[in-house]
Amino acid sequence: MILCGVAIAGFTVSVVCDIATRMLGAPWLWLQEVTMTFFIYGVFAGTAAATRRNDHLYLAVLAESLSGGRRLFFEIFNRLVVLAVAACMVWYGYLNFLDGFRSLRMPSMTPLASLYAAIPLCGILVILFTVEQIVNGWRNGFPDREQAS
Amino acid sequence: MTNGVLIFVMAGLFLFLGYLGVPVPFALIAGVLLVALFTPVGLPSIMAQLFNGIDVEALLAVPFFLMVGELMTAANVTGRMIALSQALIGHVRGGLAQVVTLFSMFFAGISGSSAADVAVLSRTLAPEMKREGYSAGFIAALIASASTMANLIPPSIMAIVYGATGNVSIGGLFLGGVVPGVLVGVGLMIYSHFFGPVGFRRQRATMPQIAAAAKGAALPLVIPVIIMGGILSGFFTPTEAGVVAALYILAVVIPALNRGYFRQLPRDLAHTGLLYSIPLITIAASSAFGWMLAYLRGPAVVSAWMASVAGGDPQLIMLLLVALFIIVGDFIDAIPAIIIFMPIITDLTQNADIKPVHMGVVIIVTLAFGLITPPYGLALLMAAKFTGVRFGRAMLDSFPIYVVFLATILFCIYFPDVVLWLPKHFLPQSVGCFPNPSGAGYICPP
Repeated sequence: MILCGVAIAGFTVSVVCDIATRMLGAPWLWLQEVTMTFFIYGVFAGTAAATRRNDHLYLAVLAESLSGGRRLFFEIFNRLVVLAVAACMVWYGYLNFLDGFRSLRMPSMTPLASLYAAIPLCGILVILFTVEQIVNGWRNGFPDREQAS
Repeated sequence: MTNGVLIFVMAGLFLFLGYLGVPVPFALIAGVLLVALFTPVGLPSIMAQLFNGIDVEALLAVPFFLMVGELMTAANVTGRMIALSQALIGHVRGGLAQVVTLFSMFFAGISGSSAADVAVLSRTLAPEMKREGYSAGFIAALIASASTMANLIPPSIMAIVYGATGNVSIGGLFLGGVVPGVLVGVGLMIYSHFFGPVGFRRQRATMPQIAAAAKGAALPLVIPVIIMGGILSGFFTPTEAGVVAALYILAVVIPALNRGYFRQLPRDLAHTGLLYSIPLITIAASSAFGWMLAYLRGPAVVSAWMASVAGGDPQLIMLLLVALFIIVGDFIDAIPAIIIFMPIITDLTQNADIKPVHMGVVIIVTLAFGLITPPYGLALLMAAKFTGVRFGRAMLDSFPIYVVFLATILFCIYFPDVVLWLPKHFLPQSVGCFPNPSGAGYICPP
């Protein structure tokens, strides 16, 4: 949550500076890169935080309408799917990150890998938070989405 | 496996996992990753598609318009806009129902998301409506329906996403959304007047009372002027207009109306940071899903089928797309729907020679309608939850309101000149007009 706040504050300030420098007739072109960096990292940090708080978009929550062992089964199954996707984000995101050293961002010539790194980092956080949810849910039961957030 | 089977598996797995309770972005990515195993596409390039989906500068506007809505709601300055709505229209039949609609029109000019509108109305006007004898189902249905105007009247997050992914003028979509937005508002007022509960009859507000209410609401009501004025004058991009509106709230509106709020600001900023990541990670996942769909040539097949049925008739093509999006909007959220189906929309728009802004407005109105249709009517689900009524009850009360939306969609399809009147006059290039080489003004192709 704090990282999300830092990211949104960061890119707000950089957009303001972008407007101000442009109005002064001396635009700082690198500000757009800073803005996108805050923006991208904010999205992926927020994704991890939303996973922990069960705040994502859902089509339906079948598990919450069940009880007992069936609910436990579906709650754990859903989180195992999230774990599998997050594991892919870590490994294939890492391979994509390595690939990103071959492309550069203009005008700073920073490797695109600096932005691609957000995906595996997000995957690691999602894995941690999902394991935390499974352990807590196994011990104390899974909260409904409203209670969790 | 053939492409058709792979598309079926990908969409089926997404819907299966989604309805089982897996978060939408993870269900989308799971479908794409599974299908990618049966294609020559490498899984790291799926991750690159996740990134490409949000590496779009226009999408920066999303968090700012969410921030504007959040700040206005959290700082509790919306009460003044409700007071103005009450002074203007509270005396007519179904007074509070009319106030809900009028307030939503005002609020839609500030916030781009239905969720903030539903939250404000459910907290403020819903309890008062209950006391006046309105049924909880009607309240939820009306609040949800009125909140959809946030997606039509600028600034609209749906328009930003549509414009950013479809390479359509966001300013043009903003202006094109005004007519359908007002039509939905007027339609809801007519419905509430003739078919809704009577409510208490209040005395008509006097001119000094209206003037006092307008003065109280003046500061927040400047925000739409800042946003649209900045964009239309070419001074700001939509993203920058969102920043300036947020700064105006922080520097002018909140200090003037609720100075004590600043203590809560860091917490709300962090919350907004979380809030914007939710639609954007869904955009990233949908973009990977849409990319795989295009790789499997799904859009080409669907658009070829639609073109063969409609035979190049633009209105019939739009009607077919509306039917498709009404069905799609019943099951998935508007943002993934826009991104996943954008290749089909683009293909059909080009083939039938439809103006992209016109098509965009029709699709956005249809998806806004999807916010109140079951089983996945997000605005109705939220309104039912906040007002404490069963979803089924709220759904039954919303059925008659569907007429308002269907009439608006048909109007948008059959009267493009009316819908495109504002973009044509204020942003002519957004609808394909070009500067007259031999003088002032623009030349607009028919």
